[in-house]
Amino acid sequence: MLPARMEQAGGILRVIDFGEASPLRSQTLWHAVAYGVSRGAPATLSFVRPAAPYVSIGRTRSPWEVDLAYCGRAGLPVYRRMVGGGPVYLDPRQLFFQITVPARWAPPARQQALRALLSPAVRAFQAVGVPAALDSYGEVVVDDRKISGHAGGQVEEAVVVVGNLIEEFCPERAARILNLPHPRVREEVERRIRRYVLATPANPEGFKAALTRSYADALGLPPQAGELSAFERATVGELDRLFGSRRWLWEVDGSPKGTWYVKVRAGVWVCAVQVGRGLVVASGAAGRVVDVAPVGGIAPRARDGLAGLVAGVKGAGIEEAVRRLQAWGEDGSRLAGAWSRAAALAV
Amino acid sequence: MSGSTVRVGRYELMVDRLYDPEHHLWVLPVSDTRVRVGFDPLGVEVNGTLAQLVLAPLGTVVRRGEAFGSLEAAKFVGPLVAPVSGRVVAQNPVALSNPARIEQDPYGEGWLVELETTELPAERAYLLEGAERIALWFRERVEAYRREGVLAE
Repeated sequence: MLPARMEQAGGILRVIDFGEASPLRSQTLWHAVAYGVSRGAPATLSFVRPAAPYVSIGRTRSPWEVDLAYCGRAGLPVYRRMVGGGPVYLDPRQLFFQITVPARWAPPARQQALRALLSPAVRAFQAVGVPAALDSYGEVVVDDRKISGHAGGQVEEAVVVVGNLIEEFCPERAARILNLPHPRVREEVERRIRRYVLATPANPEGFKAALTRSYADALGLPPQAGELSAFERATVGELDRLFGSRRWLWEVDGSPKGTWYVKVRAGVWVCAVQVGRGLVVASGAAGRVVDVAPVGGIAPRARDGLAGLVAGVKGAGIEEAVRRLQAWGEDGSRLAGAWSRAAALAV
Repeated sequence: MSGSTVRVGRYELMVDRLYDPEHHLWVLPVSDTRVRVGFDPLGVEVNGTLAQLVLAPLGTVVRRGEAFGSLEAAKFVGPLVAPVSGRVVAQNPVALSNPARIEQDPYGEGWLVELETTELPAERAYLLEGAERIALWFRERVEAYRREGVLAE
């Protein structure tokens, strides 16, 4: 539940259904709501469905993580959002919702804020027959499979948490949009996405109604259909220009430099590290190394060591794997650092 | 209390610097016109496991209360809010390449930025200094966070 200290600013939960919107507007509409809530608009639950596929990257991430050449060929625009998470593929078979509240309502601890603002969504999934739960990582899951992509952030004095109802999911496309160094890495990412992400095609209208009830109950506010204020409408125009600019897309730069990380869901990662002219591709889940394999032209000396390493660390806990890697010379230390980072990034 | 530190519960605080009580950042003057900024231990704990750090480019001028960067933990992005006005003149490359260092060593290798500032005398009133004041404030914050369930008992 949200904290009891929350006062009832605005007195209502404004509900805005934006319906279907262009890829750009499917981002800028709800960002404008965040700026509005920051300046006194009521807490808002909004819905939007992108009219066409596109790619979005999180506030702190680099476009280098996206295969921009492929996206260009496939006609997929790429937009930077103001909330967290990595590069994601969005399309019309995903219904997105955003809950936006004044920042002072949310617990100061970020993980708690996310849990507080995602718990009503979990109850909404349950209300439409999906046996959802919030796992220890704060991921919305059925068993160990993620069913809703979420992210959160603070925009001025508003906190917004975004999630989605995945009606249909294309693991191939989700992996294809990523900038990865080798087809084998992409295969591994796609394999992990198939294993750990699940579509739950509930009735979207029923889901919207359930979400509205659930957030209204959690916030103790009566829901009321609303629309953008004049300020928010003007902000949409400004954000259209910002989000469509190269400056905003490339605000965070930084190429992979021999290491590639993919977070499949919280606690599940794939990491590729360049070793010689080849790669070492590893996957982790629930604190363990679940797979590790050399790919391509790793120098013979390194390969000899690698053979033992592969046999030794597959199935090991991440800390144990890192400890063993560190005894494998310079390349082992690099791998150890990368796997530690991959596990940390995947929390 | 010992030397330039004070202990509050399980937290050891450096008291040779000033603190922004709202955003849990410390401010250490390193010359007459330059300060170093970093998280205090409670700020680190409340943020959770840090995944990504973005700092404003060198030369960026920020006013007190404006963002000098963003921090991502558990897919939640929040602003880093400047405790004093100034110009960003140094970024910590260690924290940028490995944000975990902020958690591991918030007073040392985990610092964030250095600001060139002439505003510190005017803005000092917004910051806390002195062992007793710092300890009192910190103790109150820890207790408040415990009451709110932000920190474990």
